Amino acid sequence: MDKERVGASFSCVWGVISLAVVFGIVCLLWYLLLHPDGVMKLYTPMYGFSLVAVLLCAVVLIAKLGECYPFGDSTPELSVRIGKGIILTIAAVLLTLIITYWLFWGFIGKFGVAYFSPQSIVASGGTGAEPFNARENASTAIVYFAAAFLWWALAWTSGFRQWPWSGSSRRLVAASRFFAVMFFTIVTYVILFHPHVCYLFYPPQNKAGVEPWWASFAGTGSAFFSLGIVLCSLAWITISEILWEGYPGRYVDRDARGTLSSGIVSIAASLILGLITFVVLLNVMTYFWMEPFEGGQYTDAPYFRYIHTAEISGFVILAAFILKTYFNNFPSKGALALRAVIRTALAFAGGAVLYLFYFSSASTLLLGKVPGMAQPDDTPLVWTMLFLSVVMIQADFFEGWPMATPHSEDKR
Amino acid sequence: MERRDFLKTMAAAGMAAGGTGMLPKRAEAAKVDFGQVKSVKVDVLSETSWFDNDIFKKNLMDYGGAMTNQYTIPWEWNNAGGYSALITVTGLDGKERKFLMDTGWNNEWMDYIFNEKSNVASMLKSGEIEFMLLSHWHLDHLWGIESTLKHKPDITIYAPKTHYPEDIALLREKAHHKAKTKDGQEVLVCKNDTPHTGKLIECTPDGEKGDGIYSPMPGVALRMFDVPILLRVRGENVLYFNVKDKGIVTVTGCCHPGILSLFSYARSNFEGYKPYGCYGGLHITLFENWEPKFDDIIKGVKSFKLQKVGCNHCTGWIWAEKAAEAGVPVVKGTNKYKEYKKYSTVAKASNVFLTNGDSVVF
Repeated sequence: MDKERVGASFSCVWGVISLAVVFGIVCLLWYLLLHPDGVMKLYTPMYGFSLVAVLLCAVVLIAKLGECYPFGDSTPELSVRIGKGIILTIAAVLLTLIITYWLFWGFIGKFGVAYFSPQSIVASGGTGAEPFNARENASTAIVYFAAAFLWWALAWTSGFRQWPWSGSSRRLVAASRFFAVMFFTIVTYVILFHPHVCYLFYPPQNKAGVEPWWASFAGTGSAFFSLGIVLCSLAWITISEILWEGYPGRYVDRDARGTLSSGIVSIAASLILGLITFVVLLNVMTYFWMEPFEGGQYTDAPYFRYIHTAEISGFVILAAFILKTYFNNFPSKGALALRAVIRTALAFAGGAVLYLFYFSSASTLLLGKVPGMAQPDDTPLVWTMLFLSVVMIQADFFEGWPMATPHSEDKR
Repeated sequence: MERRDFLKTMAAAGMAAGGTGMLPKRAEAAKVDFGQVKSVKVDVLSETSWFDNDIFKKNLMDYGGAMTNQYTIPWEWNNAGGYSALITVTGLDGKERKFLMDTGWNNEWMDYIFNEKSNVASMLKSGEIEFMLLSHWHLDHLWGIESTLKHKPDITIYAPKTHYPEDIALLREKAHHKAKTKDGQEVLVCKNDTPHTGKLIECTPDGEKGDGIYSPMPGVALRMFDVPILLRVRGENVLYFNVKDKGIVTVTGCCHPGILSLFSYARSNFEGYKPYGCYGGLHITLFENWEPKFDDIIKGVKSFKLQKVGCNHCTGWIWAEKAAEAGVPVVKGTNKYKEYKKYSTVAKASNVFLTNGDSVVF
């Protein structure tokens, strides 16, 4: 479980300044990498989306699954802390490049599942198999895989924690958790996302994947349906872990080392709450935009409504991380239930502020997006994930530097 | 479980879980009656905005993808064509009136279309073409504006209000826009030496009288949908015709808002709504690729019970073929396009597109 900075050493002023600086860094990165009129213009959109999603996976892999191995949890010396931050940041970036260009494009896509590699798609020939579509389609598959990975990585580390390897060496726990998470990631990807990717081609790859099984009741064959549920669930995993200090899983896991039952409780609770959130958000959207219909586009499209639940969840997840990292998970006093309620309300409010920012003319100015809702070539998830990556890099790799020195005191 | 049951279950669960049932009921908007026409004919002047899809996509990929500002991409000039249609409306009194929808991209191609493959040039000069509707500010619908204005600089133009300074400069200020190639060379991407001097009616979703539409003639409604579009463009004007004894027909440039969203709007807002047909680019598989959501549109078009689907341009041949196979009443084109000096590399013998030189009557 994450350490919290406690007591008087945390400065709210530093938190606000840090947040402002991080926001600036995100805008700068956006301009360099993704801005439509920026330097690299990678927001095509799926290509840039996949790179950002893999970056976040790399950060989560190092920070959460690996607990920053081989570095310690806490490094009191400033120079060591900065060195750790720099090394792990470089590792995350290298990992992003290796996962994308070698693992997916050059290895799995080349020797196994062709759709993970633009080159393999182009080589297979046929309608639409040219470099632009091929890269977009391969990127779509990678984004979905990343979503499944993030779900399981965060679910495992907040529910099962170190179970069943508690007491083992950090290296063993990290490696074991990685393989366990990968197993569930692959199963989840195959069931929830692979059918969509198989139907990204003409003719559809129906011997490799079934027709999206949710199409008959979801009103769309798009896996945005699955993505919405996954992200809504992930939002509650984040809320539980960060804002509720591990509850309700901790009711059955008093020493916070993880048990089978705490994992099951945590995942089941987040799934149930995620599904409820998914349904509530869809109903709110129906109120504002009327009922979606099969074949509708923009706000009328069922697939847009589904991904929009994911986008809203993304804003809330980001807000929860901001509250924890820059505002010391305010409030830190009072009964846990009250703290949890206030923090959750603040995360929802923060999510709403981020939502309003993203769909305002300010983001048109800063991010270069066309004003308006439901642009098919735009999803706020990309910006949210980039922002989240930078926040996690500062919080976990740099241990919050240059904010107050963490006490590394595990409250649990 | 069927979709409707699923959605109903979700709605009930949502209300129970989130209390959204407490939200006030939305007020029903008053329906608009914009009259009727006897018939409407669409002549396809040019639907080939570009001739080689792969070259177009390569330009897009090399310079930043679908979100990039269209004026910053050094498009391959020889690959450019344009989109334009001549619309002839026959009123209930039997009188014919004409107007132009869009003005294409490549000036040489559009001059060829307007002078050699149609009478548009002379109809513009004589005033037979009453006005021009600009569906949206995309390059393939706007950048050939000189080809229209050189014959009629004071023509009235209806256009979405959501334009950028570069658009207005091209339309009214004799702009010559240039873009940089990767090796730093500046190349001309569009120009107009004949500035527009006529009336520019800037359309908004509010409409002319606050009822959501502009009505340039009885039985014809123009609506601006303010939607974000690729290549930094925003907003599209679409046409509705209420054809006597048949129903609502839509005519679009690219139909970015979505064909079914157009009919959904008509269902909610037009008096005596009855779906009939559509013509235009439908913006579905414009890159000749596929996605599950394109299957959704086929199912949706069938459920909306359109009787005549005339499509081309950004609809995508793949979608049109799949839709026809699935039983959507796609209007077949002819081989006239082969008589033109250039034609699309994706054109197929299935003729599911109304291509250059074809026409359709609703």
